[in-house]
Formats: sequence, C-alpha cells, structure tokens
Amino acid sequence: MITDTAAAVLFYLLGAAAIGLALAVVNSRRLLRAAIYLMAVLLASAGLYVMLRAYFLAGIQVLVYVGGIVVLIVFAVMLTRSADLLADKPSRLRQALGGVASIGFLVLTAAVFLTSAFPVGVGGPAPPSDTVAIGRRLLDAGPGGFVLPFEIVSLLLLAAVLGGIVVSRKTPPPDQPFTTGGDLPGEADTTRPLQQRPPHAERGAP
Amino acid sequence: MTDLEALLTPGLKHWLLLGAVLFSIGLYGLLTRRNAVGILMAVEVMLNAAALNFVIFNHYGEPALVDGQVMAIFIIAVAAAEVVVGMAIFVALFRHRATIDVNRMDTMKD
Amino acid sequence: MDGFGFALKNAWLVPAIPFVSFAVVGLLIRPISRKAAGIVATAAIFASAVFACMLAWEYYRLYPPGAAHPAIVPWSMKWLAYQPGLTVNVGVLVDPISVLLMVVVTVVSALVHLYSIGYMHGDEGYGRFFTFLNLFTFSMLGLVVAPNIVQLYVCWELVGVTSFLLIGYYYQRPSAVAASKKAFIVTRFADMGFLIGILILGYYGYSFFGDLRGVIAPQVAASGAADLEAFDFAYLTHPDFLARLASPGVAIAGVSALTISMLLVFMGAAGKSAMFPLHIWLPDAMEGPTPVSALIHAATMVVAGVYLVARLMPAFAASGDALLVVAYIGALTCLFAAVIGITQDDIKRVLAFSTLSQIGYMMLALGVTTMSHPLGYTAGMFHLFTHAFFKALLFLAAGAVIHAVHSNEIWDMGGLARKMPVTHATFLAATLAIAGIFPLAGFFSKDEILASALGSHFYGIFAVALLVAGMTAFYMFRIYFVAFWGSARSHHAEDAHEAPAVMWVPLAVLALGSVVAGFVPMAAFVAIGEPLEHEGIDFAIAIPATLVALAGIGLAWFFYAGDTRRADRAVEVLGAAYRIVKQKFYIDEVYLFVTHQIIIRFISRPIAWFDRYVVDGGVNLSAWLTCMLGAGLRPLQTGQVQTYGVWYVGGALFVLLVLWAALA
Repeated sequence: MITDTAAAVLFYLLGAAAIGLALAVVNSRRLLRAAIYLMAVLLASAGLYVMLRAYFLAGIQVLVYVGGIVVLIVFAVMLTRSADLLADKPSRLRQALGGVASIGFLVLTAAVFLTSAFPVGVGGPAPPSDTVAIGRRLLDAGPGGFVLPFEIVSLLLLAAVLGGIVVSRKTPPPDQPFTTGGDLPGEADTTRPLQQRPPHAERGAP
Repeated sequence: MTDLEALLTPGLKHWLLLGAVLFSIGLYGLLTRRNAVGILMAVEVMLNAAALNFVIFNHYGEPALVDGQVMAIFIIAVAAAEVVVGMAIFVALFRHRATIDVNRMDTMKD
Repeated sequence: MDGFGFALKNAWLVPAIPFVSFAVVGLLIRPISRKAAGIVATAAIFASAVFACMLAWEYYRLYPPGAAHPAIVPWSMKWLAYQPGLTVNVGVLVDPISVLLMVVVTVVSALVHLYSIGYMHGDEGYGRFFTFLNLFTFSMLGLVVAPNIVQLYVCWELVGVTSFLLIGYYYQRPSAVAASKKAFIVTRFADMGFLIGILILGYYGYSFFGDLRGVIAPQVAASGAADLEAFDFAYLTHPDFLARLASPGVAIAGVSALTISMLLVFMGAAGKSAMFPLHIWLPDAMEGPTPVSALIHAATMVVAGVYLVARLMPAFAASGDALLVVAYIGALTCLFAAVIGITQDDIKRVLAFSTLSQIGYMMLALGVTTMSHPLGYTAGMFHLFTHAFFKALLFLAAGAVIHAVHSNEIWDMGGLARKMPVTHATFLAATLAIAGIFPLAGFFSKDEILASALGSHFYGIFAVALLVAGMTAFYMFRIYFVAFWGSARSHHAEDAHEAPAVMWVPLAVLALGSVVAGFVPMAAFVAIGEPLEHEGIDFAIAIPATLVALAGIGLAWFFYAGDTRRADRAVEVLGAAYRIVKQKFYIDEVYLFVTHQIIIRFISRPIAWFDRYVVDGGVNLSAWLTCMLGAGLRPLQTGQVQTYGVWYVGGALFVLLVLWAALA
C-alpha cells in the first residue's frame, strides 16, 4: 500500500537514478565501471517494474538481465582486453552529432506523445497473480496466445548459443580437430600444422 | 498549487517521458561510443527502455491482459541471445584485429 | 523501256562489276594470292569495258547518230527519301556523254590494269594497288552515270579519296604523303564550293518543285526514270527551272542564284580538273606510280570537272556570266601550264603540265558554247575522248622509259629510240597526236576546239589556243628529242631495254586509238542544242594550226635534237625569267605562305586555342567539379558504422518530422 505521494516520490527517485546511471553508462571511459552502472540501471528498472505492478517481470529482469547479461558483458570486456583501454573518448564532432540526433529524437517523440491523447484508462483490476497470468499467456495456443513466439524464442536461444560457439572458436588446422594454444595475435599461428609452427611466440600485449 | 500537483503526479505521460529519455540516452551511447562492448551496453539500455514502455502500457491499459509483460519477457530473451552472438563476434574480431575500436573498422569506405 | 537490249536493261552492271571486283579482290583474294588479285581485277575491268562498248553499241542502234539522243535511266533506286521531291536516288543515266565516258574510263582503266601487272610486279603493295584501282574505276563510273547531282557528288568525293590513296601509294616516302594530302585538301576545299552550289540548287529546286513538277515530270517520264526529284539532272537542266532560277526574284546580293550556284559548282570542277589557281596539286600528284598518273591524272579523274560542266551545260549556258568565267579560266590555265611545261626536266611533270593545258582546252571549248552555237560542247568532249588515249599512252610509255632508265629526269635519258623500239614508236605516235598533226586524233579534236572558239567570236581565246598549240608541240617534242634521240646521257640509259609484253601491248592498243580516234564523227554522237552542220575539215583553221604545230616541232628540233648546247645558251639568255617559270611562278610558295602565315597563324591557331582551352576546358571543368564534389563528399563515407548510424537517425528524424507536419 503506497500512498500517492510516496508513489510519486518513488517514481521520481527511481527515475532520476535510472537516468543518471544511464548517462554514466554511456559516458564512462572505463568499461568495467560502465558495466556496473549498467547493472545499476537494470536494477532501477526492476524497481520501476515493481511500481507498475509487474512483479514477476521484475524478478526475471534481475535474474536474467542483471545476473546473466551483465555478467556476459563483463566477460566480453575481459576477453577483449577493453578494461585496459582508456582511449574511449569520442571526438567532439561525434559527440555533437550524437547529441543532436538523440536530443532531436527525444524532442520529437515527446512532442508526439505529449500531444496525443491515448485512449487508455488508469489501470484496471490487476490480475490476482501475474505469474500465473503470464504463464497462461505464454502457453496459450488460441488467438492472442504466445505459444508460437515462445517456441521460436527457445529456438532462437539455441541458435544464438550455437552461433556464438561457432563464431568465436579458433579454426583448427586440418590434422587437428581441436585447438590448443593461444588466441591472441602475436602468438602461434594455429592454422598451420603442428610441426611448422614456430616455437612459442612472445605473448605480448597487442 | 493543485495544477502543479496535477502536473507533477506521475501519469502516463510522465512514465512515457521517462522511457523516452532512457531510450535517447541509449541512442546517444550507440552513436558515440568507440568501444564495441560499450555500444552493446548502450543497446541494452535502449532495449530496457523499450521493455519499460511495454510494461507502462500494460499497466495503464489493461493489466488483466498481461500482454505487455509477456512482450517484455520476450525482449529480455532476445536481448540475451543478441548479447551472446555479439560477444562472440567481438571476441573473434578482437582476435583478428587486436582492437575493437569501431573507428578502426572502416573498411566499408572502400 | 521496250526495245532496250540486254546491255541497256542491265546498264547498272558497268559500275557494279568493278565494285564487286574491288570487294572480292580487296577482302578475299588479296590476302591469299597477289598474282591472282591482279588478274581478277584486270579481268573484271575488261569485262566492264566490253559491257560498256556493248552499251554504246545498243544505245546508238536505238538512237542512230545524227538524230536526237535522249537521256534514259534504265535503273534507279530510292536511297535517301527525305520528302517527296527531296529524295536522293541511286541510278544509272545513259546519254551520249555518259556513254562516251563509260567507254573511255573502262577501256583506259582496263589497259592500265594490264600494264600495271607488269609495272608493279614485285612491289610490296601489289594487291593493295589493284584494290584501289578497282575502287577508283567504280567511283569514276558511278560519277559518270549519276542521274542526279547528289550521287555525282558522292562519287566525286569517292574519286578524291581513291586518288588520295593512290597518290600516297608509296606511303613510306614523305614527299608522296605530302602530295596526297595536298591533292586531297585542295580538291576538298574546292568541293566546299561545289557543295554550297548543290545546296543552293537543291534549295531553290525544292522550293520551285511544287509548281514545276507538273510541267516537267511528264516530259521526262519517257526516259524510264523513277519519279522526278529535285536533285535530278533532268530537272536541274530544264529550261523552266533555269528560267525561274535566273529570275531577279531569287537573286542573292544582286547576282542571280543561277550564276552563283553555277560559279560555285564550277569551283568544284576547277579543283578536280586542276584549273588555275587550284592546279597546284596535279604536278605533285606525279608522286604516285605511273599507271596511277596515267589513269587518274590524265584520262579520267581530272576530266571529271569537264564532265560536270558538260552535264550541267544547259544551266551554264543559261547563265552567260558563269560560262564566260569557265572559258577564261580554261584559256588561262591552258596558256599558263604550257609556259611552265616548256621548262620542266622531270618527264612526268612535263606530262602533268601538258595535261593541265589540254584540260584547259576542254574547258575553254565548253566555255565558248552557246545553245545556238554548240560546237564547243562537241569539241570539248571530242578532245576529252582523244586526249584520254594519247595522254594515257604518253604516261604509260614514260613509265616504261622511267622503268628502264631508273630516273624521271629527261637529262638521264637519251638514245632510247634504238633500245626501246615499241615504246619509241608509240610515244612518237602520241606526241604527234598531241601536237595536232594530221591524221592523228589530236588534229581533229584540237581543230574543232579552235573552230568553236572562232565561231563564237572569242578571238582572244582563239589566239591563245592557237599559240598554245604551238607551245604544246614544242615542249612535247622537246622531251621526245631529248629522251629518244641523241646518245645515251647516263649509264642507265645505255643499258636500257624494251619493256615486257604485258606492258607494251597496252601501249600499242592506245597508240592505235590515238591514230584512229580522230576519225569518229563525234558531232553525230555527242551534241547539244541546235544541230550542227559538219562540213569536214575547215581549212581556214586547219592550215594555221598545222603550221603552228610544225613550227613548234621545228623549234624543238633546232634546240634539242642532237646537240643541246643551243638550248643551254637560250636558257642562259633568258636567265631570271626562265628560272621563275621553271619554279612554276612560285605559286606553291605563295600558297605555302598564305597557308602558314595567314591561315594557320591567324585563323587556325586561335581556333585551336579556343578548342583546347574553352571547349576542352569546359569539359575538363565539369570533370574537375565532379571530382571536387566527390572529394568533398568522401569524408562522409568513413566506413564506420556509427557515422552511418548518425546519418540514419538524422534521416529518420527528418522523415518523421515531415510526416508529423503533414499529418498533424
């Protein structure tokens, strides 16, 4: 039971947090920090979902988004040595252009929906258990049901995982089904047979 | 003061504005970031804002019909798949080029 | 078209056979066998010659000599149909002068082909030579049988092209290349006037066509032609058309359109026939092989101008001024060339100037013609006929002599009479013919020219013609005595021997022609206007002419037979005057000066500058602008995805804005 005032205050708080953190995500020069800020944005977003009475979704958001995707991003930062690079300063021109584009977008979108009258009421009865309702919807085979997208998404995830593996593996030489040895440039060239490979090349920073 | 109160009370428009602001910030990051992973993070912000939008309309439309939440779930799932593939590509790219600075990925200009 | 025999019905074969032979020899036979190329080419022209003679036979059987000789068009085809009335046909016109020319061209060409088999033997471009010679024969025949002025012009240009190709036959020699260019450029320049004349005639012809068609067409329908067109000679020489053209209503700058167009047409004829001052190309054209000189620059191409004037004679006669110009220019060329011919040492040059002089005779004969006293027309064509024989013979014999002595200079020859008997006999026959000695051909034709000049009361021209007759005899016998009498003047001349049979047989045939051609009663065959009464030899003219010729021969004998020291003394005495004449009055130098200092400096160079910097510059400027634009836009293509992203978002925003503004 949240009173209206409290609801308003919470809204503004979470909203400000989300916006501030999002700005930090896009502007931070250190990528690991950006990843953490992203995590914070997603958490704030989960909070906003709770305010919108989407409780199950908030849980999913934390579990999948924060727990899975942000972790993946951190892995990527590590694997691409981006944590060390501090040269992520875009040029002034780029910043200006990007700023213009995004602010333009914002202004246009805001103008559109602020001047439109959306034929919606303020809420209605919420479902008793949104989890059940969501579950029902996902497996609903009738019209308005989401079972087909549900199945397709599972296929999509399978494909994504497989694709990820295929794209990121190193191509082994013909006589060797699996690769052993380095994945960074400057190291041994694994496309040639074993005997011809030069002895361990220096593992220098790229 | 009632007008100001009325104006400040979070309604549909306020929520939508919030979603739009988040989306724009993500857009800015997409256009500006030099690191590929940074771009991906900005894309995540954008996707999150889009999901938020769905949930907003779900709340203010017909909450009994949890369509918006289901859509948000799908968005999350797709975002996950996208991140997986994106990471794989960045790793392969980094292996190839020793950098994932998108300003250096300019062979398209030939 | 009934009563036409085989030859008349298929008159188109006469030009077609050389054309087919040209294509076949040039494309198929020449790469395979050179010898076969020569034989096939020669055989084709002989066939065409036989056919032309058959044609002449049939035509004069149909229209007996002495009666009227209409022009008939046995074959005609639409070629460029711009509008009814302004259509160019391709066809074959058969009338006395075209028949005459067909016979002359094919016979002389056939003999020259035969001679060339021997003369060009072993030459590198043997096949090429015969191909071009065939093409030339076709072009000349196409010109001669043209029923309208456009086909004549097209073949006229073709003849110019083949002449260019043949003069420049020895293309490795810079002098030959220069000569061929000179010939082409000078005649092309003259053809510019010709073309303007054709355009004027065509313009007025077409504008009068609507009215006159109804009157003229029925009259010419009997000739078997296709529909009458504005370019046809039948139309252009019709009195009604000429009367309209001469009327003051169509005057250009006060001069009647008829005179102007005829003068322009004569400009073309003067260029092709090397009248003064467009004569400069003919002496240099001697760079070509001797058979070429014999065929093209003696017997056939250079008489194309004479033929053109004869073809348009009614038009020229209707414009008295134009005809006067023709007469005077002909007479001037006649005299001018003869004077120069006396001084030249190169045998071919002498013959070239002699050709110029004789063509001058033909032109002046045409020039003194009027429709009421048309003897000049007949005389000019008669002289064309006889001249073809003895001039071709002279050139071919000179070729044999040059071949034997390996030099063109007469002072390298000498004593050839004993060593080359057949050549000597034929050369003597031709020289006597050109000098106008009875009973050889030249006597009769030259006499008729003199008679026509006198009969039309052109006393000055008559005097000039008479004087030139004497000079002709003088310079021709000069080279005869120097080359054939006396002792050998160079060691090549000592070893000279007779030419092979394939070369002296044509000489013999032409010599026969030179002897008997004079006995043809030409007036019965070729005439125009009022009928002529022919009373046989007019002694009042024949006797002075013969005396003058004999005087010329005697003078030549005095100076050049045997010991030539008297000649050398005479040259010394004449001194500077002799030198000027020998340098052809420095006219070439004047032309060069005008061309280089005036035309090239003041006209060509500015135009070239304009073309290079303004026209080309404009094109380059547009290219440069495009490059600059491209270079300016290139930074947009950074290859970076984010740049494209920015543009994408910007573009999408713009579109959304526009949509919103439109739909709101």
